[in-house]
Order: sequence, then C-alpha cells, then structure tokens
Amino acid sequence: MKKMLPKIAASLAVCSILAGASVAADVIKIGVQAPITGSYASEGQSIDNGVKLIVEQYNAKGGILGKKIEVVTCDDQGAAQQAAICAKKLVNEGVKAVIGSYTSGATEAAQTTYHRAGVLQTSDGTSDSLIAHKYWTFFRNSFPNSAEAEYTAKYFVDGKQYKKIVILSDYSSYSTDLADATVKALKAKNANIIYEGKIKSGSQNFTATLTKIKSMDPDVIYFSGYYTDGGLLRAQQIQLGIKADFVGGDSNDNPDYMKLAGDSAKGTLLINVPTPDILPYDIAKTFLVDYKAKFNMAPASIWSLMNVDGLRAILHVMEQSKSDDTKVIAEGLHALKDFPGITGPVTFREDGERIGGGYMTYEVQADKSYKIVYQ
Amino acid sequence: MDIFLQQMVNGLTIGSLYALVALGYTMVYGVMRLINFAHGDLVAFSAFIGLSVYAQIFGESITSLVAVITVFVFTAAIVAFVGVLLERLAYRPLRTAPRLSAVVSALGAGLVIQNSVMLIWGPNMKIFPSNLFPSTIWEIGGIVITFTQVMILGVSSVLMVGLYFFIHQTKIGTAIRAVAIDQDAAKLMGINVNRIIMIIFIIGSALGAVAGLFIGTYYRGITFDMGWMYGLNAFVAAIMGGIGNIPGAMLGGLLLGLFNAMITGYISTQWAETFTFVLLIGILVLRPTGILGETVAEKV
Repeated sequence: MKKMLPKIAASLAVCSILAGASVAADVIKIGVQAPITGSYASEGQSIDNGVKLIVEQYNAKGGILGKKIEVVTCDDQGAAQQAAICAKKLVNEGVKAVIGSYTSGATEAAQTTYHRAGVLQTSDGTSDSLIAHKYWTFFRNSFPNSAEAEYTAKYFVDGKQYKKIVILSDYSSYSTDLADATVKALKAKNANIIYEGKIKSGSQNFTATLTKIKSMDPDVIYFSGYYTDGGLLRAQQIQLGIKADFVGGDSNDNPDYMKLAGDSAKGTLLINVPTPDILPYDIAKTFLVDYKAKFNMAPASIWSLMNVDGLRAILHVMEQSKSDDTKVIAEGLHALKDFPGITGPVTFREDGERIGGGYMTYEVQADKSYKIVYQ
Repeated sequence: MDIFLQQMVNGLTIGSLYALVALGYTMVYGVMRLINFAHGDLVAFSAFIGLSVYAQIFGESITSLVAVITVFVFTAAIVAFVGVLLERLAYRPLRTAPRLSAVVSALGAGLVIQNSVMLIWGPNMKIFPSNLFPSTIWEIGGIVITFTQVMILGVSSVLMVGLYFFIHQTKIGTAIRAVAIDQDAAKLMGINVNRIIMIIFIIGSALGAVAGLFIGTYYRGITFDMGWMYGLNAFVAAIMGGIGNIPGAMLGGLLLGLFNAMITGYISTQWAETFTFVLLIGILVLRPTGILGETVAEKV
C-alpha cells in the first residue's frame, strides 16, 4: 500500500494539471486508456500515437462539430487496478469516448465505470466476457475467436470445397475454444469433419497422430494451436507424405513457424487478420505513411489499427449525426454498416461486437513470404 | 497394414532415442545405485551444445559428412566432460551418504543444468539447422522412412550393440560389472572404482549427447526444459526393462516408443501417458525387477 500511494498521488496530480489545462468548453475530449508503460508498453504507445495522429488530422481540418478535439491519455499499465483508476479519471475529465485498452483484463475493469457514466468505449480485447454485459457503451473493434471460426468455415466449404476435414488442437483454452468454434461453424455448413484430435503441446513427436490421419486420406488438416507445434506438425506431415493442405490458425503466424517447418513451410495456409503492412485498403496505406512520417516507426501491430478504427467510427458518426450526445452516437454506431476502416469494413452488432472479420488466408511461398489467397 | 508398419517405424525411432537416454540411467544405477535425475537435462544441454558447436565451427552453411561427425564427436566430448564434472561435484562427495541425499543432489543438479541452459541460450525455442542430414525420404510399400530416421535407428543400434560387447567382452567391461556387483570386493581386487565410475559417466553422457543431437536434428525445435520429458520417459523405459540391466534399458526404450505410438495411433493422444504408466505399474507388479531385471540383493 505504501508503494501505491505515490502512484495514486501522481495520477491525481496529473489529473489536476490536465483539468486545469482544459477548462475551455469548446473542445471535445477523447480519452485513451492504454498500457503506456509495462510489458505491453509498445502496444499502448502505439494506440496512443494512432489516436493522436487521427485527432491531429481532424483538427487540421477544423475539428469536429466546430470544436477542436483534445486527447486525454491515461496509463493503465495493462493492470486491472490501474485501469479502474483511469476509468474514474477519464470520466471526471468529461471525455465522450475512450479508446482502449489493449488487454481484455484492463478493458473489463474499466467497462462498468464507463457504462455508468455513459462514456463510449472501444477496445481490441478479444475475450468473450467483454460483450457479456451487453453494455450500450461498449464496442469491440477487433474480432473474437468465433469470427475467425466462421471465416475458416466459409473458406473451407465455399472457397476450397474441402470434402474431408481434420481438425487438430492442443489442450490450451485458446486453442480448444478456436477448434470448438471452428467445428461448430463447419457443422453449420454441413461440412464433413472426419477427425477431431488433440495433440500434446511441446511433445515434439506427432507422427503417431499424423500416421493415423494419413490413413483417413483428408483434404485438409486444420490446426488451431500455436506455431511451436504447428511448424513441427507441418514438417512431419510432409515427411510422412500426407498430401493434404495444412491450414494454421492465427497463432501459427510467426517467423518461428517458418524456421521449424523449414522447406515444408511452403504451401502452408495461414489464417489471420492482416499485418499492418499488407492491408489492401487505400486508407490503410495512407495511414501507415502518415504514421511513419510523424513517429518515425511502424505501428506496433494490427491491434493499434483496430483501436484507431474504433475512434474513426466514433468520429464519423459524430459528424454524421451532428451530435456529441453519447446515446445518439451509440445508436449511430449500431446503425453503421460497412464503414470503411483501416482494418476492413466496420459494422457493430447490438451487443457491441464487431461483425465480419478482416481475416485473410495467406499462402506461404518458397521464400517464406506471404501471398493473399482468400479474403 | 501399412499404417500399422508406419506406426512401428515411428515408434521404433522415438524408442531408440528413449533407449539411448535410458542407458545413461541404467548404467549409473547399476554401478552406484543412484537415479541420476540430472541425466535428462544433460540430454537437453547437449542439443544446445550441438547447436553452438555447429554454428561456431561451420557457420550454419557448410554441411558434409565430416561436419556432422565433428559436431557429434565434439558435442559428445563436451557433454561427457560435463557428466564427469557432475559426478565429481554432486555425487562423489555423497557416495557414503544416505541414498536420499544423492537423489536430492541429482534433482538439484538437474535444475542447475536446466537453468544454466536457459540463462546461456535464452528461454525461447531454438531452431536446429535443417541441413545436417540430407532430407531424403524413402517410400517402401506405403511406409515412409526418412534419412534422419534411418540414421537414428542405425546409429543407436550400433552404439547399443557396441556397448553390449564392450561391457561383456573387454577388461574394462568386466571391471564395470565387478563394481556393479560389489564395490568393496572390486576395490580389494585392485579395481580403481573411481575410474570405473568416471568411465560410466563418460559413456552414459556421451550416449545422452547423441540422443540430444538426434532430437535436435529430428524435431528441429529445442527448448531448455525439454530434458524433463525425455528424461522421464527414458527413466520409465529403464525401470520397465529392469534398472541396472543394459539390454533391459534398450528393450524398455524400444517397447515404450512402440507402445506410445500404438496407443496414440489406435486409441488416443489423451490416453497415451495414462496407458504408459498403467503398463509400467503392471510390469512392476508382475515382475518387480523389470522385464530383464535380475533378482538383485536388497541394498536399500
């Protein structure tokens, strides 16, 4: 507790300084709640930078609703306790909307406070629990596991028309969830799943499971686990001469996957949201150029851009509805359909879930580069 | 049928790796009545040593038979040295102490090795070069067998047969067996027990090093904590075959590999470990000394 006191005092001091600086009523305040320090600092700073860049661009055009936009940033350190303090602070500041946080945990800790105060919140957290409350103030700007599963099912059934599908996962909750969601989505499309199996993460030797799979002669092997096992699975699949396609879920999209699989990596299909540099949209390209020009580096990851899309959607609705009333904006956001985002079209469901998914399938080339094969 | 044979090949490959590691356990136990729990971590350590030796000498680009042999010989020598050092520092001072102290010392030594590997090479997975062995694959009647698998099976069989003859045909081998039967009597016969124990650690560690390098070349990804899994499996194999018995360790390793492959292939991955330990318990209930274990005099 002794250690906490200086921190609280410091944040209170920051509060009062910021409060003093912004007495003018002709500004619209946007909050950023992000881990500016701590393990996720690079992600948090990237979110803050992205928001500031968009706001700067708006202000250069004369602001919004005739008012300048002001950004208020609060560092939640990726921790729930700090997030709760940030939430109170930002609400007291009178922000209309909060962008962030990066982690689901910090987002969830602040959610109720924003809801009570009627402050909009948009976050990239993928945890299912974030939309469990169905708060009208909350909008997820990333996609949950179920979205990836639906994309995968669509790709398998409509795109590739696989007839015999094998689903593999490990025992982690992420991998199991993704595999279960994928199986559910595939069954809804009447796909033929011939085998659902589990591998033990880290056990290195998957030949027994793969040999069993070989006897079933599948069209595709889908793996929902992590790259450390995925790379070995792929290498051993090629070794055993199993002709099926190998499709990896988002956690296989890692440089180490390529190293582990070696030459066998070629031809692997990876499903993930795009990395910032291969986003096909013009707004994305412009944004990345502007970001690089201002901060002299690339955004930390796609997640910063997801958050920026949350902000862009909110500002867009504000302009359209000519209102800064959060109730009106929330209605506008729910009514939004395919708003052109940096990370793909933005549409929100009634419970704040982002619909669709900017998921893409990449085929790994011989030189380990990616080629987009399905969107 | 070809699926069954394929599972046999898979099982025998992993089984020979278990057997190589199991030999280290069983030889040390045979001579010292000590379960060398640090042995598994020594295996992981050798994979990392192999990685560094290769990068240092050949710069990860040149591969030839000479390069591969050099990597294996260098690594085996370094690991054998570490094995001897381990015995000197962690086991010899405790030789007359109660067995439990030595076992705790072995567990501690294992953690020291594991954490040293983590501190030296880092906690992330390291990737073994893929070009150590040619990536040739043979397909015989639906059964796929790779060059690396052939190497693993071939080299381990040669080493195991060689070890068997070394123990049973040479003078040092006879001395090792004498020490295993009765240390004090062997000493009275003029056998240098310390030297025999050193030889045991050299052979055991070198065999473990070969296993570690094969794990690296076969599976490519190596982690600082992988020794635990291989150590545990090899330990089970050694017990199954009859701990202290050299052919027993080989048989136990191969059986365990086959058994694991069959359970995974025909029942399920989830049950592989459960069945392995049920089998172990079953064997121990029916034959408390293991499959090939002799009825040893009560020592504890």
